[in-house]
Amino acid sequence: MPASADLTAQMPLFHRVAIAGSADLRTAQRITAGPDLFTPDNDAEVRFLHGSGIEDFPRDVRFQACFLPSLVTPDWLGALTRLNCNYFIEAYEGLDLGDLSPLRRPYPGPQWDLLACLSTQSAYHLPIARKFVTALRRRNVLDDKIAPTLEIAVQEAFSNSLLHGNMEIDTSGHLSMEKFHALEQKTRDRLADTTYGRRAIILAARGLNDGGVEIFIHDQGRGFAIPAKTDLATMPGGESTFGRGLSLIKTLCHDLKFEREGRTIRMRFSGTGAQISLSNSLETAQPRPLPRAADKERSQTSARPSLAASAAEPAASPVEDSPQDTPDEVHQAHILIADDTMISREIVASYLRAAGFTNLLFARDGNDAIEQVHRHQVDLLILDIIMPGMDGYDVCKELRSDPAYIDLPIIAQTALEENEGRTRIFQDGATDLILKPLNKSELLARVKIHLEHRILVKQLRAYRDRTQSELILAHDMQEMLIPRPDYYRPIGRDYGLSISAAFQMSSELGGDMWGLAPLDKDRLAVYLVDFAGHGIGAALNTFRLHSLMWSDGDVLNDPGAYLAALNVHLKRLLPVGQYATMMYGIIDRKNARFQYACAASTAPIVGRNHGQSFEFLDGSGVPLGVTADAHYDTRETAFTDDCFLMLYSDALIETPLTDGNMLDPDRLCDVLRNIMTRPGGNSDLASQVTDYFYDHTPRELGDDFTLVTLQSQREA
Amino acid sequence: MNYKTRQEDNTITTEMAGRFTFSDHTVFRKLIDEITALPAETQIFDLAGIEFIDSAGLGMLLLARDEGEKNRTTVVLRGAKGQVKRMLEVARFDTLFQMED
Repeated sequence: MPASADLTAQMPLFHRVAIAGSADLRTAQRITAGPDLFTPDNDAEVRFLHGSGIEDFPRDVRFQACFLPSLVTPDWLGALTRLNCNYFIEAYEGLDLGDLSPLRRPYPGPQWDLLACLSTQSAYHLPIARKFVTALRRRNVLDDKIAPTLEIAVQEAFSNSLLHGNMEIDTSGHLSMEKFHALEQKTRDRLADTTYGRRAIILAARGLNDGGVEIFIHDQGRGFAIPAKTDLATMPGGESTFGRGLSLIKTLCHDLKFEREGRTIRMRFSGTGAQISLSNSLETAQPRPLPRAADKERSQTSARPSLAASAAEPAASPVEDSPQDTPDEVHQAHILIADDTMISREIVASYLRAAGFTNLLFARDGNDAIEQVHRHQVDLLILDIIMPGMDGYDVCKELRSDPAYIDLPIIAQTALEENEGRTRIFQDGATDLILKPLNKSELLARVKIHLEHRILVKQLRAYRDRTQSELILAHDMQEMLIPRPDYYRPIGRDYGLSISAAFQMSSELGGDMWGLAPLDKDRLAVYLVDFAGHGIGAALNTFRLHSLMWSDGDVLNDPGAYLAALNVHLKRLLPVGQYATMMYGIIDRKNARFQYACAASTAPIVGRNHGQSFEFLDGSGVPLGVTADAHYDTRETAFTDDCFLMLYSDALIETPLTDGNMLDPDRLCDVLRNIMTRPGGNSDLASQVTDYFYDHTPRELGDDFTLVTLQSQREA
Repeated sequence: MNYKTRQEDNTITTEMAGRFTFSDHTVFRKLIDEITALPAETQIFDLAGIEFIDSAGLGMLLLARDEGEKNRTTVVLRGAKGQVKRMLEVARFDTLFQMED
């Protein structure tokens, strides 16, 4: 039996809790120890882990909660997407969840796939709907197709709960300029007020069995009476302006409910929701009918298809996986013969013995058959349909309902000749059917074919599992080539630089690589490599290159000469048609310059004047490994104390965004400028650009993605 | 949301960019103050750079229209794309504004 509910019911020995950036540890401790987070009977030890950036939290470590800094800045919202944690809580003074605590309930309580708990003050200024939906997409809770619809609904519902709920602002009636001014003033007052501003708002989501998703928004306002009728068609020029979101929400989701006297909005979206889009709500403007599917609670363990598939592995005996063993393996298979008459069992057994099958087991009826299957590792079941008590149909149904026996071959045998019984036994899960009286050669042929098939599937599965585990090992090895935050952050500080990086492979293995090399106390070298293609071939080439990189001592000081030397080595190693693009550069802090050489790399970007202007450097050059006599120019540009350098793989600028366009230079500059001017924008730039990228791209990337920024932290 | 305005003859064009949502009160108020101070026959709101709008954003556009009417100014919405375009269609803004691609 695959492990499932048992595991989740176990209490962990300790809770891992992430402390993000400047989140106050004392507040986090207070919330963790109090009633707001865990149930009172939960006395597991809590271990806090601090990270100054999202990349500091290892992805293979699961956190039971993450505390965000008070007055959350947009850069930290990226944690919703990238941190291995489902519960995000702003650690602010005055957080009191009242009837909403505890946020984390033990299994089988509601298990959220994602939950964010914020103060009104923070939530007001954050693009929370977008970030939340991006995170759900990236976590595989939500299909890319229904994401745009969901985002609008979440935006409307969230603003309703925030403005009308927590801030108790009335926006009914026609909106005149005077009212708008008053509204703006009131908004400011309420945000600054400790009663309204410190109320919590919770946005939570869980995936449903049918592939859909359910969203809950809880506020701490006074609640409200649900308007009897809201009609979208009367929207333009209508009485209400800000409050009209409700009618819009109704057209976007399958089911809308209010709980806690109107302080909780509950929206359900069907997994096949692709057909509801804003455009066809135009024609109807009517609430959608309820889908029939029951929204059963989905436990976290059975949530993801990939996990479910591996959990469904039969608990079968280990198999020899060399193909030449196949004939013997067929004859050593354990065959269970289930029949209520002894003479029938003996006939089948005599045919099988004569053909060399020796491991035979017998069952006298249906219950006995089930018991034997559980007790022995049966490879094939020959099953009589008509038996007293539990008959063949029930045996089939029961076995098939257990994932462990989902692909056990079952050959049903019956004297029935009517179509109805034959159809039914297949529906109930039989693999094959033979008719009584038995024909010996037919029986043997069918037994053989099903056993061979089963053995083949087992071998393939063993092969796949082995390949998978080797790929995971290789993946880990490759990740070790890439600098980790605890390495690059201190190095950056030595040179007065804030270094930030994001790295995602499109498959298990990738062809991207970046790194740093401190040359002396003023000069730091940085490089970014992208091998053609991705997958195993490209990954092997990154290892090759990595072993070459630091073999030439002096030449590191001259970017052009260094690329030329690497090129000669790579040309020797790489077969025709394989090549790499690369940028190698040296940031010289003393002389305030950046010297670099490129081999067909993306154009490195230097931002100047704190992100007010940008220079796209020259990335041209012959790719590495194409021709042995390639020459590479060393180029130079100023790099002063108000500058940053950004390096990126072409996935950043060549992945189509959700609006169909790509991140062309103008748009990229706009994005950078926007990030640099907002709170928290002067550090962790790569992380924030990555968040923007994730917001606007499909979940599955077609190419490896690498982004590195080095920002000067010295005052200009 | 952020914006840039420019005036040519009797037309004021405001290029808007980013997300236009309920939390943009203050910036929108500033925008309205700025453009109503300038005499113009036509006000164009260029929405090409807006990537997301919510119902509060729609409400603010209606407010701009009301202000425009007071000053006998024609208000034009230009260049809406994607989600923004669909939202304008759902709310039948074509019946309230002059629309341009």
